[in-house]
Amino acid sequence: MITATYTGILTLAAGSFLLAAVLIVWRRGLRATISLLAWQGVALATIPIANGVHQRSWMPIAVGIVVLALRGVLLPLLLARAVRGEDQGAREPTPLVNTTAALLVTAALTMIAYAATRPLIEHSPTPGTRAAPAAFAALLIAVFVMVSRRRAMSQAIGFLMLDNGIAATAFLITAGVPLIVELGASLDILFAMIVLGVLTDRMRQSFGDTDLNQLRELRD
Amino acid sequence: MKRDPVASGTAVRSGTGVASGAPAVSGGVTAALGALGVVVGLRAVFGAPLHASIGWLVPFAGLRIDLDPLGGAFMALTGAVAAAVGVYAIGYARREHWARFPLVMLPVFVLTLLVVPAAGSVTTFLFGWEAMALTSLALVLTEHHRDEVRSAGLFYAVLTQIGFVAILVALVSLSSASGSGDFAGIRAAAGDLGPALRNGVFLLTVVGFGSKAGLLPLHAWLPRAHPEAPSPVSALMSAAMVNLGIYGIVRIDVQALGGGPRWWGTTLMVVGAASAVFGVLQASVSADLKRLLAYSTTENMGLIAMAIGASMLLGASGLASVAAIALTAALLHLVAHAAFKALGFLAAGSVLAGTGLRDLDRLGGLARRMPYTTVLFGIAALGATGLPLGAGFVGEWLLLQSLIHTPQGDNTLLSLVIPLSIGALALTTGLGIVAMVKAFGIGFLARPRSEGAEKAREASPTMLVGMALAALGCVVVAVAPAALGPALTRVASTLPSVGGDQGPKLGAILRLPGAAGSVSPAILAAAFAVAISLVLLLARWGVGARPAAVVRPLWAGGGPALTPRMQYTATSFAEPLQRVFDDVLRPDTDVAVTHVAESRYLIEKITFRTAQADAVEEHLYWPVVRAVAAVARGVRKAHTGSIHLYLLFGTIGLLVVIVVGR
Repeated sequence: MITATYTGILTLAAGSFLLAAVLIVWRRGLRATISLLAWQGVALATIPIANGVHQRSWMPIAVGIVVLALRGVLLPLLLARAVRGEDQGAREPTPLVNTTAALLVTAALTMIAYAATRPLIEHSPTPGTRAAPAAFAALLIAVFVMVSRRRAMSQAIGFLMLDNGIAATAFLITAGVPLIVELGASLDILFAMIVLGVLTDRMRQSFGDTDLNQLRELRD
Repeated sequence: MKRDPVASGTAVRSGTGVASGAPAVSGGVTAALGALGVVVGLRAVFGAPLHASIGWLVPFAGLRIDLDPLGGAFMALTGAVAAAVGVYAIGYARREHWARFPLVMLPVFVLTLLVVPAAGSVTTFLFGWEAMALTSLALVLTEHHRDEVRSAGLFYAVLTQIGFVAILVALVSLSSASGSGDFAGIRAAAGDLGPALRNGVFLLTVVGFGSKAGLLPLHAWLPRAHPEAPSPVSALMSAAMVNLGIYGIVRIDVQALGGGPRWWGTTLMVVGAASAVFGVLQASVSADLKRLLAYSTTENMGLIAMAIGASMLLGASGLASVAAIALTAALLHLVAHAAFKALGFLAAGSVLAGTGLRDLDRLGGLARRMPYTTVLFGIAALGATGLPLGAGFVGEWLLLQSLIHTPQGDNTLLSLVIPLSIGALALTTGLGIVAMVKAFGIGFLARPRSEGAEKAREASPTMLVGMALAALGCVVVAVAPAALGPALTRVASTLPSVGGDQGPKLGAILRLPGAAGSVSPAILAAAFAVAISLVLLLARWGVGARPAAVVRPLWAGGGPALTPRMQYTATSFAEPLQRVFDDVLRPDTDVAVTHVAESRYLIEKITFRTAQADAVEEHLYWPVVRAVAAVARGVRKAHTGSIHLYLLFGTIGLLVVIVVGR
């Protein structure tokens, strides 16, 4: 692959990755959010595949295919199934931060991410590290999503975004994540999703709702 | 301490499904481990040092065993205590229906006790030390369903961990500065260390090891944990574990660092004297038998610390031969204390098992009902008084001699410190007699003061055998300290900084080189025995000359008959003392008089309640605890239960790290 094309694909993947994160902040419907998450997963999978094709090694490609299967297809499907079980409409209720403010915060976080990763780019200016700030910004945005959403399901989505961000940053700034590490991380995510699913179910049974503010009374 | 009826150990009935042979196995293994410790320890004392290292057991550093005469002596002492306790525990565990957990933990605890003095490197030592702390904590919490036990466990856990942190910092900085993880390497490099580091290590070790030895100010776990632990565990803790605190001070400060400036010895003497006087005062007003024994441990450890401090001070002042006497006094008293305190706690355990009581105010009359236990406790109490023919006598006498025979010259520090410590020693010994007379006289003699004491049962045979073993140790130390002479000489020879190579010879007659005193416990004992038999013979001879005895009712002060309530109780016995030392003891007494409804002149009942507060605890611990609690309350304000807020805290933390760590 020509370097220019490679750089273009990498930048495009990182950009759409970040865009997906910003759109998740904007949209409140759970189904739309989940399809955005799948989009983000596909963008994430593009990165190692592009790396693999560029370096002519099959390992990153294998990692990319695993990522694509898991984060682009399997986890969104699982989430969509869980959302279908939500009886109170698949919409996030009034969020803790209104949409305009949330988008402003997102912009601020993106700036922080770019500022924070500057030394990294100066240290080794490769196409990968140049795209890394976008992945890092998506990571911070994911944390923000977790802070500002009420529904347990949105928390799960935020958590998946967070892990996507971590994986994307790792793919971009390292020479390549070994398959076994990626498999291990993905397995963790799968388990975390299962636990979250069970918890959500329990919450619905106990409170008839999955608003996390209900848990406020549980302290002490 | 509230004067409520103390829930007894017999309340434990949680032993479900424990095989009937389990106590025998547990006690047998404990005793065998102890015997093994004695053999290995003595081999190390008299033979060549033992070295071993097990690489795979502890990651990175490995386990390193290095037994020299000093470690060997402590190991043998620990083993001897464990052997007696192991035999005793067979009967005790069976009687108290121990659950499986303490049965398993008891031998493990003994094993950790044996590892600590054998450790040759800092990591092994810390590993053993922490394992010892954790297993003993687990054993203290055997009866965790009682509130007092849980509170005692908390106190013990906190204080022992504070001590551990101090020891950890001291040993790690010592080993990093000297570039070696072995005690031998540290000793070789100790001369090149800066004074600031040496002083810091000294202070930290005094705090850390002092907390284990029950020295002020970190002593508060002792009078809580020892009474609440099952008695064999109390005996192990009080007669073997606290010794290891002293071992740490000797190993690090005296041996590895080779002594220091004179204020080191003075500091240790002040801490020791304060602990001794404070401990014995609390013991003499305590009405709980095991609490009394626990405070007596603080007292005796204080005396030993004082003796070691004296030997360090005298060694630093160039008075090697007198320093050696003080060192011998410390070592001898350590052995004596292990013997009589093990016996004391085991006998207290027999009382607890036999009556369900440890409150002296409710005991009494045990001499008839538990004759063997009474005699054995008598031997322990005599040992604790420091009177001739008791185990504690020789050590205290040697300490007194070393202090008296210190040539003070124009040395201001010595002429200030030495007389004061003689005073402290005298006061401690005197009050110690009061405490032990109270424990023995009120607890075992006279008439039973409660139903529990009236129904007392004698201890089981294995318990008696265990106690007899400890009593044998007491008698040997009391009558023939010469038997310990060779071992003590070998131990002292590893401590040249305090004149260990020119110590007194412990023959049949104790002679002090460079001092005028000499005493022979053996001849004293023989003379005493002859005098007693003479008196008995004379009495028998005189029997025929006396008129026959006539039985008449005793005058009961005008009342109908003598009742047990007319006797002195432990509280009333200690009352004059409590008055004299009111400022130090600060008892919290409360007298409530209830009048008869019809008349103010007639009294229906008087309730007297007294609680002994610990002044050090009140003025040192609670302010700290209150401050921590206030901070915690502040933190709780941020703790609202909202998951979003917690996530926000995490996010802000992450952002701060990212921005700052850029």
